[in-house]
Amino acid sequence: MLSKLFGRTVDLVCTALLTCALAAGFSTTTRAADPTLEGSDVGTLDKAKVEKVFSTKPAYSPYVGRNFPTRPLFGDTHLHTAASFDAGAFGARLGPRDALRFARGDEVTASSGQPAKLSRPLDFLVVADHSDNMGFFPDLLAGKPELLADPTGKKWYDMIKSGQGAAAAIDIITSFSHGTFPKDLVYVPGTRAYKSAWQDNIAAAEEFNDPGRFTAFIGYEWTSNTDGNNLHRNVIFRDNGDKASQVEPFVTMKPFGSDNPRDLWKWMTAYEQKTGGSVLAIAHNGNLSNGRMFPIIESFTGKAVDKEYVEQRAKWERLVEATQTKGDGETHPALSPNDEFANFERWDFGNLDGSVAKTPDMLEFEYARSALKNGLKLENQLGANPYKFGMVGSSDAHTGLSALEEDNFFGKTTPQEPSPDRISATFIGNPETGIKVMDWQVSSSGYAAVWANENTRASIWDAMQRKETYATTGPRMAVRFFGGWDFEQADAQTRSPAMAGYAKGVPMGGDLSHAPDGKVPSFLVAALRDPIGANLDRIQIVKGWLDAEGDAHEQVYDVVWGGDRKPGADGKLPPVGNTVDVANAIWTNTIGAPELIAVWKDPQFDASQRAFYYARVIEIPTPRWTAYDAKRFGVKPLSGTEMIVTERAYTSPIWYTP
Amino acid sequence: MPQYHATSATKGILLKRLFREPLFHFLALALVILAVYGILGPTGAGKPDAIVVTASKIEQFAAVFAKTWQRPPSPQELKGLIDDYVKEEIFVREALALGLDKDDTVIRRRLRLKMEFMNDVGADALAPTDADLEAYLTAHPDKFAVDPMTAFQQIFLNPERHGDKIAQDVAAILHVLRANPATDPTTLGDASLLPSELPLTGTTSIGEIFGPEFADAIGKAEPGMWTGPIMSSFGPHVVYVSEHKAGRVPALGEVRDAVTREWGNDKRKKLDDARLNALLKRYQVTIEGVPGAGADP
Repeated sequence: MLSKLFGRTVDLVCTALLTCALAAGFSTTTRAADPTLEGSDVGTLDKAKVEKVFSTKPAYSPYVGRNFPTRPLFGDTHLHTAASFDAGAFGARLGPRDALRFARGDEVTASSGQPAKLSRPLDFLVVADHSDNMGFFPDLLAGKPELLADPTGKKWYDMIKSGQGAAAAIDIITSFSHGTFPKDLVYVPGTRAYKSAWQDNIAAAEEFNDPGRFTAFIGYEWTSNTDGNNLHRNVIFRDNGDKASQVEPFVTMKPFGSDNPRDLWKWMTAYEQKTGGSVLAIAHNGNLSNGRMFPIIESFTGKAVDKEYVEQRAKWERLVEATQTKGDGETHPALSPNDEFANFERWDFGNLDGSVAKTPDMLEFEYARSALKNGLKLENQLGANPYKFGMVGSSDAHTGLSALEEDNFFGKTTPQEPSPDRISATFIGNPETGIKVMDWQVSSSGYAAVWANENTRASIWDAMQRKETYATTGPRMAVRFFGGWDFEQADAQTRSPAMAGYAKGVPMGGDLSHAPDGKVPSFLVAALRDPIGANLDRIQIVKGWLDAEGDAHEQVYDVVWGGDRKPGADGKLPPVGNTVDVANAIWTNTIGAPELIAVWKDPQFDASQRAFYYARVIEIPTPRWTAYDAKRFGVKPLSGTEMIVTERAYTSPIWYTP
Repeated sequence: MPQYHATSATKGILLKRLFREPLFHFLALALVILAVYGILGPTGAGKPDAIVVTASKIEQFAAVFAKTWQRPPSPQELKGLIDDYVKEEIFVREALALGLDKDDTVIRRRLRLKMEFMNDVGADALAPTDADLEAYLTAHPDKFAVDPMTAFQQIFLNPERHGDKIAQDVAAILHVLRANPATDPTTLGDASLLPSELPLTGTTSIGEIFGPEFADAIGKAEPGMWTGPIMSSFGPHVVYVSEHKAGRVPALGEVRDAVTREWGNDKRKKLDDARLNALLKRYQVTIEGVPGAGADP
């Protein structure tokens, strides 16, 4: 009692103080943009299994009985709609249904009033609205007695009970329109208000999920953002609404939630145990975490990560979103000084709200490649690799529009939808730190590509779980990557490289182990450009490994490239060239190659050292979205604006464990 | 307190006991608080505002917690939830008293969203009859049309590998296949990720793999023979179409869910517009022209 009274006085004083603090901090609130890993043997194919799949006496058609995916499915695992608190505040009007309709290929009207349509439909979409502040009406369980006490409420309730739901709905709408709606009755069953926004998101996904043609996943974003340090994760359900609706999404705000990912993993555990369902999490924007996304020392305790941390993270966080509108997360020039493609769509000014500037020591714990390297170290020490993740790209758009092509970019937020102003507008400006990010720096990226057998929730989710995925910065290139011990050049010349790939190796996301005597890992890698996109410059393989002293290293190898180029004395392949006419925002496919295929063997393999390998596919230079804006709106970009982009894809790694 | 030392020891002991008494602490502190509040607090502050945390509210906290964590809250956790609610309620009331909700873009947009969300009729509340759906399907055949489909094999020639001889090489492959129909087509052409055979597949899907021009052309290719070249954005293809299937408008039974969804979407839009128009009637809107500003929509 006493402490309560005292507490109240404190609160009263705080109220006065907070008024100023709130007023001062408000611009930050409105501006704040918002918001995986362990070897499973799912990706491992042994000879016996293969021989079962590919019968030794084939039918005439080599595709009879084939049960591996023939084309990648493209989608976005991270799209916000008006149901996200900040998206709504930015002026987004499109809800989950509009977002799903757009992703399926329909034309919709964007929040800014202009028509929007994709060049081609997407195959899947996760509407991932922020769990915090998602529910419009969290009091949904409290209203019933009041409802029945009101005569109008009683009438509607009876109407709905007796099966006249539609008539009741019309009546309710009319009473809204005429301002005669009883205040206490927002909870009447049958109105949308009765349902939480979460239930509505689920309902929208259920409506649009069309197995075999278009997958609408149920999911949300857990937006841990304490002090502006981005620890966001997207949570994706394998399940349908019957299971997902049994649970409330995990929030970051106390007392219901927590900003510590360990608590998110507990929530995921509880969900699976209770419902028998399946969920996975995708971390994103380590580049805005200021050294906290892929820690060796946990920011919450200041202590080294322990066995429980590495095991739980490996179990739940299967993928990383390596590229998106708020910058690319593969690697950073300071971390990979010998990688001439490392300086790409770089956002390294500070944390998410620009409240704390970046220092060089943070970078190692923010980017995918360095995390993959540190993962090898932690596995060495603790027996599990917390950073054994696959790669996807996604949008993080807050517009309800998953439109990430350079010539059809609808921005990250509603004010960034196409207009003559966006090329020169400010996105984040923090007067205290002097950090400023312009709208032109927003990246038109990316999509998640998944090698799934079928376009269904279960099949795509399973492919995500086994990490048979890759990230693209927007173009829909098809990328294959297989690792094994026996790939030969001839495998790159067969009419169906994927058959050799699955028969003789493991796909992206898989594991190699027990190196046979005298063998080195060999990789079959292939990329086909987007059928309506630009040619490919080259395919590279990025290797990371741990030496005998326990130090991590990385090396980028050029494996196959378009045109008649020879590596120079420094071992570097000359640039592919550039056909971009910035003023007219056009390019030609006169350089590079439409398709690249090769078999590559690790020239520096040591069977006693842990390693990972992933493929990076580089496109020829093309006009960046800013060039299309300048051309179409006739506007001048600010000096320093990037007008050309080198699009790319990153595959999930294949790991070698001695 | 020194004056008490002058008096008897017994009195001292009693006082000490009194000082240890929680009730005394409570009353003393309450006095201090009331005095401070009297000085700093709003003049004429009468009875404090009541914050009642009802049993149903507490039940709700527990229910939401249980739905989040898949277990009921501990007494400690429940207390945390209640305390947090009280704190929030105080802040909200104080903020409203100060008018902090006024002219706030975020709050205004939130309120608008809430209205839209609330007024939006759930698809479940709109139960269309079969006649509604039939009419909708008839009025919008394009929305539900089944793509024309084609089944084919293709042999790809990579322009990089054939250079100037590519037309000759296409002709040579066609010649071999026509002269000897038993030739295994997978032994001809170049390695590619493009599938060399597709079962009956819709034009849109073919376009996603081979590009729209190829999808168009293959739809017109004569079936039952090797023919070509058909060009895609990758290069020339020699093709064998085994079957074409014309596009069509499906019967309602095949696409009932999709029609229901689209019908509901249209209905929702119409109701939204009607509701806004009805509300608009209750307002007189005056727009003052800004001198010199164009009327750019």
